[in-house]
Amino acid sequence: MKVLESAPHRYDKGIKILTLGKIDKAYDRLIESIKKDDNTLDIGCGTGMLSFRAVLKGAKVTGIDINPEMLEIAKKRVNELEVKDKIAFLEMGVAELDHFENDSFDVIMSGLCFSELSDDEISFTLNQVNRILRNEGKFLLIDEIRSKSIVKRIINWFLRIPLVVITYILTQTTSRALKNIEKRITESNLLIQSRRSNFLDNFVEFIIIKGDKK
Amino acid sequence: MNISNYIYYGFFTIIETLLRMFPFPAKTGYQKVGKPNEDSPVLLTCNFHLTILRLKKATRGLNYHLLIANSKGINVWCAATGGSLNNHSVISVIKTSGIENKVNHRKIILPQLAASGVESKVIQQNVGWKILWGPVNAQDIPEFFESSFEKTNEMKQVEFRFVQRIEMAIMWIFLATAVLMPIWGPLFKLEAAFLLAQICFIYFLVLISFPIFERIFQKEIEKKKAFFTIGNLVVLLINLVYAAIGVVLYVIVYQKDYSWILLRWSIVSFLLVLLVNMELKGSSSTYKSDSHADKLYDIAVDLEKCKGTGICVDVCPRNCYVLDTEQKKITMPRQKFCVQCGACIVQCPFDALYFMNRKGDIIQPEIVRKFKLNLMGKRT
Repeated sequence: MKVLESAPHRYDKGIKILTLGKIDKAYDRLIESIKKDDNTLDIGCGTGMLSFRAVLKGAKVTGIDINPEMLEIAKKRVNELEVKDKIAFLEMGVAELDHFENDSFDVIMSGLCFSELSDDEISFTLNQVNRILRNEGKFLLIDEIRSKSIVKRIINWFLRIPLVVITYILTQTTSRALKNIEKRITESNLLIQSRRSNFLDNFVEFIIIKGDKK
Repeated sequence: MNISNYIYYGFFTIIETLLRMFPFPAKTGYQKVGKPNEDSPVLLTCNFHLTILRLKKATRGLNYHLLIANSKGINVWCAATGGSLNNHSVISVIKTSGIENKVNHRKIILPQLAASGVESKVIQQNVGWKILWGPVNAQDIPEFFESSFEKTNEMKQVEFRFVQRIEMAIMWIFLATAVLMPIWGPLFKLEAAFLLAQICFIYFLVLISFPIFERIFQKEIEKKKAFFTIGNLVVLLINLVYAAIGVVLYVIVYQKDYSWILLRWSIVSFLLVLLVNMELKGSSSTYKSDSHADKLYDIAVDLEKCKGTGICVDVCPRNCYVLDTEQKKITMPRQKFCVQCGACIVQCPFDALYFMNRKGDIIQPEIVRKFKLNLMGKRT
């Protein structure tokens, strides 16, 4: 059983193999909508792949994650990059998002975190995002999804199996795919401003804004 | 329980026992068991599918609310001690499952073995729920309910029982067979059947006679001996005798060119025996795997900080502690049975307990709470 426990220092590499390098490009693209001095929240920051990109664009970042070992790696990078006063990492789960005040963030982002959450947690998180995001704010979401087209799903399935096995052996990391995320976003009174996915429709980037107030 | 339930239970029990090594995640969140009302107790468990099946079977006829927390599909003890069942998983399921609107109390019963990963102090502060540590085994839950949530010493203690030993033997046999047979089977045909017999023979014998080895291990644990010890050597030798009996039996039955067969058989038997020996302690529930540095540490008590609340008495799975009610201090008359799970260190509200080895190296409570146990030995 012990061998199956996560190995954080190999996580980044694992994710890069699993997504065939798509992840870096997607993060770079999404980060373009962050402006200087934006107050930014990174949900499920892990080792800080998204957080550090945002900080280098001049934003103020709070990264939250539940894995203390991942955060330890992120904190080490903070010291290397000398951006101490612009970034903070907290050990915190999505269920603790209610500690933040209303309208406290200009940008909220989350990369490959929602697919780790349960249905209840996703609903809770989306509602909290709606509450803590400023009216003109943006919510950037990147994740693996399950395609709506059956053909693409079958192709994905066959392509993914060897990839999952190789990645698991090399890094003991794996990931799951999100289902019906669009519907759940709209249910939480959020609006999808743009959706970008790859050809196989298994990897998606959303820019989400707040919907009209009830 | 009707016939289809039996089939469902039997099917998953067999599959998940054979593949016990691997996680089997079940859906997290809220479930009703029986007909609970707003005064009914709330229980929480991990999302290892087999655990939930067994819990429900053991508690048939009881009425309670069940919360299934995310432990990445791993059983309670491994998940809690390895960091997968932690404060966040418990807080998350309490807050997102809607349980707060379903009951009019704020008490939640957690399996006692979750105490090495979930801090009752943090849960109380964060969501205002009070944790009660339930029994180790689900079978004791009906009695625990009847005695209005009082635990006996037997309910608190982890043992490596006969049924569990058989279960572990079956799991190892299945794994060893799955690894060896695809190579051995097509190559040596009839011999493969003998190898299979020997795999079963060795695993069953070793795990059934585990109490014998336990005495040797126990002495070495007390002396804090490191990785490869006399105990391991003795077990290895006993295993080799088992293997030799197997080889001899084989040669008697299958008399043909036996020198070559004997050599190849001795090698594979030796490998098998080595494999059994390596993880013997790790597959028991009363000893820590040899690969963990923690096993060289003892629990130390800072008597000035100890206020005698006795939380450690409540969570220790080996009944190591006894509370001195006069002095209001804790004593450890059964320290030698400690498995270094760290539950007492994690739960102590005054940080009075910590790990210390013979050289005087210390692992502080905050490190034990933060960095859970894994193969890399992160704690030290």
